[in-house]
Amino acid sequence: MIETIYVEEVIKNHPRTKFILKKFKKSRIILIDKYGEIFNKRNQNFRIQKSNPCLILAHKKDGFVLPAPEGFGIGSSKNFYFSHMYNCIYDCRYCFLQGMYSSANYVIFVNFEDFDIAIKKIIEKNVNTKLTFFSGYDCDSLAFENVTGFAKHILSIFKTYTQIEIEFRTKSIQKQPFFSLKPMKNVILAYSLMPELMSNSLDNKAPSISRRISVISELASKGWKIGLRFDPLIHGENWKELYKELLENIYNNISTDCLHSVSFGTLRFPKRMFKDIFKLYPNEPLFTSPLSLNNKMISYNIEIEEEMTSYCKNLSLRYINEDQIFKCSI
Amino acid sequence: MNNLKIKKSSIRLVIALKEEAQVILNYFRLKPVNEKTIYPIYKNEEETHWLIISGIGRSNAAASTAYLYSYSKASIYTSWINIGIAGSDKGNYGDLYLVDKISTYQRKTSTYPSTMPKATLPKMHLFTSDIPISDYTSYELIDMEGSAFFDIASKLTSKEFICLMKVISDGPKNDIKEMTKSKISNLIKVNLFKIIDVVSYYERISEAEFLIIDKPELFNDIKSKWHFSATQSFKLETLLRRIENFCNKKDIEKIIKNCETSSSVINVLNLKIKNNLVNWSKF
Repeated sequence: MIETIYVEEVIKNHPRTKFILKKFKKSRIILIDKYGEIFNKRNQNFRIQKSNPCLILAHKKDGFVLPAPEGFGIGSSKNFYFSHMYNCIYDCRYCFLQGMYSSANYVIFVNFEDFDIAIKKIIEKNVNTKLTFFSGYDCDSLAFENVTGFAKHILSIFKTYTQIEIEFRTKSIQKQPFFSLKPMKNVILAYSLMPELMSNSLDNKAPSISRRISVISELASKGWKIGLRFDPLIHGENWKELYKELLENIYNNISTDCLHSVSFGTLRFPKRMFKDIFKLYPNEPLFTSPLSLNNKMISYNIEIEEEMTSYCKNLSLRYINEDQIFKCSI
Repeated sequence: MNNLKIKKSSIRLVIALKEEAQVILNYFRLKPVNEKTIYPIYKNEEETHWLIISGIGRSNAAASTAYLYSYSKASIYTSWINIGIAGSDKGNYGDLYLVDKISTYQRKTSTYPSTMPKATLPKMHLFTSDIPISDYTSYELIDMEGSAFFDIASKLTSKEFICLMKVISDGPKNDIKEMTKSKISNLIKVNLFKIIDVVSYYERISEAEFLIIDKPELFNDIKSKWHFSATQSFKLETLLRRIENFCNKKDIEKIIKNCETSSSVINVLNLKIKNNLVNWSKF
């Protein structure tokens, strides 16, 4: 239940604003000038906000599509991302969004058409280049789909440009719009996964791993391309058994023909971000892990990282090809 | 481990008139402080709850809020609450409202206080004026202090720790000139339990923050035995916070007891973390 929705004056009559507001009939609507008046201002308590976030409907002015950070790709020579939303409805303890903005409120930009224009411009500028776009870097791509309808909207572009890939990365069990559409070969539905035991403690408010796997299986059987994102890999007692069980469970339940790519990423926090997140949640089990400062990043030591990555990679190679495996290194 | 710590909330109330404050002073058993102060200040025996009578107007509200902060040594996790009467022709006489937007003549932009979650109380937009307003039509709630209180309190704490509550006292059907001291007192009195309910939410969040920032149990003990520089103290605090989630006090004392220097204490604690295998089934 979202109690308060702030709406920028300039988009109060936008059809998408009206569409979204219809879904929150009991919420209090407050008109504002700019979303910055509410979002990311100083003197906000992220943890308290996260327990009861507000929604902000806004108009994005620029920066619709940006180059993806190095190490984020899945094989294309150029990678870009765009975010129609800031912040996530889940509360995963390792997520960079905890330290990214000082506000935990959700911002939705309603001017989707400006994203369309920016995406098309990049595609037209990069003819003959293999491109991948990542939807929702600053949020979960699909978790709020039933409110925003963004994925459904943006898919229409990629129906036209069938050689350009788009990845939706999510922890949600949102099946629509994909379940009712014909599968598209250039669309990757990528799911973040970790052993259930770890997820129960770390992926707060997110659907369980078993429910995620069940949705992956359904979408794969419909013919959608699936990405598996084991990012971050989490260390702990019996980690080998836990990851073995998870990987085997997935590979045995999903048609590997539908697997587009599998990537493994290690747990890493920039020093400053770790400090902020630790300050917010000092009693979290994650921070009892053997994390230390390595090359300006707080992470497991390199031996743990390499052991975990190669263990999971070797297990995966029993089911998929090497060229389907990527290392996520941001 | 947290339940061993002393529970302590921290509340500061800023109220314009003594008549508005009286029932609150009684409820929280607040007594005048024992010295001459610029504004009348009251506090409870535990010194967790403080109240200041600001007087009317934005200047008084701003000055008294800053004064109370300094005088009572409030922290960034202190909750700040402004309670008072307000004019309105939108709501009902005697009803209590939470404020979630504040405007003034002086500023083009509005400010947006947070309100307590799941509140059953209705919310309104407050307009703070420097002069009494008799035309109520343009605004939901009208007062003479709210914006200044919020502006100063926002510099002292996060906006989640600030609350403004207003009881409708005057409007087109209830002439401001007919307001008496006893009417004002009574308006607050009939809303006292609603007010207490809101205050108790702010007590809880303040207390929860204090528990989080409270130093780890062994921190002062260890610091008294070895000499730690400021940087080392910070490292010690962080390590103890991490370790006390999986290691009890006795075990921590045991592993550091033979350390000769503060550096070796930190090294030993670092090693403890380095070798910890998180048992995820416990969480």
